[in-house]
Amino acid sequence: MISVGIDIGTSTTQLIFSRLTIENRASAYAVPRVEIVNKEVIYSSEIYFTPLQSSTEIDAEAVSQIIRNEYQKAGMTPDQVTTGAVIITGETARKQNANLVLNRLSDLAGDFVVATAGPDLESVLSGRGAGADRLSEENRNIVANLDIGGGTTNISVFRKGSLYAVTCLDVGGRLVKVENGKITYIYTKLKELAERNGILIQVGESAEEAKLRKICKLMANQIKEALQLSKNVEKNFILYTNDGKGLPEDLKISAVTFSGGVAGYVYEPEEKDLFRYGDVGVLLGQEINRCGILDQVLCYKSDETIRATVVGAGTHTTEVSGSTIFYKKEKLPMKNVPILRLADADEETPDLVSQAILRQMPIYQSEDKLDPIAISLTGSRYSSFTSIQKLADAIINATVSIQKKGIPLIVMLESDVGKALGNAINIKLRGKTDVVCIDGIKAQGGDYVDLGEPVGGGHVLPVVVKTLIFNS
Amino acid sequence: MEQNDLKQIIEQVLKEMQLCSAPNENQKCDGEDEQRRIPEIEDGSIPDVTEVDIREQYLVENPQNGEVFYELKQFAPCRLGIGKCGARYKTDPMLQFKAAHSAAQDAVFNDVDEEFLEKMNLFAVQTQCENKDIYLTRPDLGRKLNEDAVNTIKEKCKKNPTVQIYVSDGLSSAAVAANIEDLLPGIMQGLQSQGIDVGTPFFVKYGRVGVMDQISEITNADVICALIGERPGLITAESMSAYIAYKATVGMPEARRTVVSNIHKAGTMPVEAGAHIAEIIKIMLEKKASGTNLKL
Repeated sequence: MISVGIDIGTSTTQLIFSRLTIENRASAYAVPRVEIVNKEVIYSSEIYFTPLQSSTEIDAEAVSQIIRNEYQKAGMTPDQVTTGAVIITGETARKQNANLVLNRLSDLAGDFVVATAGPDLESVLSGRGAGADRLSEENRNIVANLDIGGGTTNISVFRKGSLYAVTCLDVGGRLVKVENGKITYIYTKLKELAERNGILIQVGESAEEAKLRKICKLMANQIKEALQLSKNVEKNFILYTNDGKGLPEDLKISAVTFSGGVAGYVYEPEEKDLFRYGDVGVLLGQEINRCGILDQVLCYKSDETIRATVVGAGTHTTEVSGSTIFYKKEKLPMKNVPILRLADADEETPDLVSQAILRQMPIYQSEDKLDPIAISLTGSRYSSFTSIQKLADAIINATVSIQKKGIPLIVMLESDVGKALGNAINIKLRGKTDVVCIDGIKAQGGDYVDLGEPVGGGHVLPVVVKTLIFNS
Repeated sequence: MEQNDLKQIIEQVLKEMQLCSAPNENQKCDGEDEQRRIPEIEDGSIPDVTEVDIREQYLVENPQNGEVFYELKQFAPCRLGIGKCGARYKTDPMLQFKAAHSAAQDAVFNDVDEEFLEKMNLFAVQTQCENKDIYLTRPDLGRKLNEDAVNTIKEKCKKNPTVQIYVSDGLSSAAVAANIEDLLPGIMQGLQSQGIDVGTPFFVKYGRVGVMDQISEITNADVICALIGERPGLITAESMSAYIAYKATVGMPEARRTVVSNIHKAGTMPVEAGAHIAEIIKIMLEKKASGTNLKL
């Protein structure tokens, strides 16, 4: 299975192709257990500066040209690619035409799966791409990855291999741009931070190393404080992206890894040409190296630095469903299906399940719309044959409007009863409505899900759950 | 020597040793002793050792790195990291072990409750084994139906069904009681969902896997599916397997059986296993093959 990752960031645009190997891990006489067993990057593109039309718009045409060329160079055609993600990250995601660009790319790149990212998802992907999850699992400790890019610093914290917390700061190498020895751009919130600390800075003035270094030191301290490694510099003024939340208070980090464009200069701060990229990235890297984080916790080498997010997007967005599931092949793939999630309390009885679905349905369905929705629940209370029949009735009764429209009925469970429930629903509906009932997938209300065509001998579906929630 | 003779000798020996052997002799004991014998009744109860989840019980004292060992334990319910007392087990693991062993023995030696079979609407037939002892010592007889069974099946079962399913105790009656209620309807519904015709299910007492071949010949089913209790282990006594074969005949190679094993609430959930088995049967009918000839 070939997966593509495309990352359009504040400063750079990149693409990778990776090969995901899936295999049935169960013995021959057991129920299949198909899993992704290997992820290997088979092609990495050059790193391009993200083409912008203006400071508020991405140059969609130029971006798609880059992607087109890279597909050609890699010898890939869209139909070879089964899954993957396009991600618009950092400051760029706030550009007016971000969605337009995404749509454009999804058409260009064929039938693969497309995801937009909020800073939370971006943090997770870069952390996984950098290998922080693996390091924390191997060392049985808590590892924070700092993905320091042009516009944002995405922090993800992994505890013994699993995600523990994420946050995102407006700290990055291109928040100040320098051209011909002059400052040509400064991000407003950073300017404000500088002013609070008695540093006045204007666009147009000459780029003094000492002054810019002070500003970078302020940014470095922001990171240090976000990691709770400093004694309260200016508690109430951390530049969290979109006024998001910080990391949990009781966090004790054992080690850090660095990724993103600036990471190279954190690991190896020697560089003579300080403004070689026309920004303060080098200075920021050096200041982070010196700010004291490295004295307090261990520092591991990351698997990827500048490519961490794109590798994460290309290899870590796709999951596979449980291996005993129910689907109608002709209805797949399906993209951007909104999730209707049942709360735990709503699962207690079949009646409550019905009520909860009916209550939430109007949010996702209007009279004239024909888009499918996916009903997501744990299903953990329904493990006997009789209880599954009741659950099937409850779901059928609550989804009459879907059945009338002739669109597929999609149910996603966490517990492993997808095929049994699918059978039950299918029989009760006498095949009149197409049913897709998968398990082993966890999703939250407000998420969207992409379901790919069956792989692994038809046992599983590739699934991408897209979380669009910005720091909440 | 007859059993009664033995009994008499033992009673005599006990009397000679001046041990109380009859209840009326007990009453002769002096007052002090009697007081000592009045049991003290306490409130509360002793915790049930079988309630312990052995994944969550880590009993090693002063471990080098107990946290990591505990995490390893989460992968499988093994009796590891249970500590020791000198060269011996600690009391709790020792009791758990005995309880598991007893459950395993019960699973083998008990019979499936007849009321349960009635509730599941399964009529019962028997192999040529007359009792549990013969069943355990003569596997060959467990592979052949007795004459009544052959007649009953001929009389009560639908002829030439696409699929014939039956249930058998095998080596665990507990497995039948624990899983059939979810597993059997799970398969039936799965087959119905695919529009596949199923014969009349029934129960075979003292059955070995091989008896499916004879049943297949009698009913002339395309696919035969036997749901049979697995030999119990010390982790679970309720595990069940499904042996499935396409056009099974007596004397066919064992390699023609497809098996789905480890069906129980902590393994593959019975209701989901049922749905999966229905899928296998569907593929089997399409490919007209089973066992090693069938690639799933």
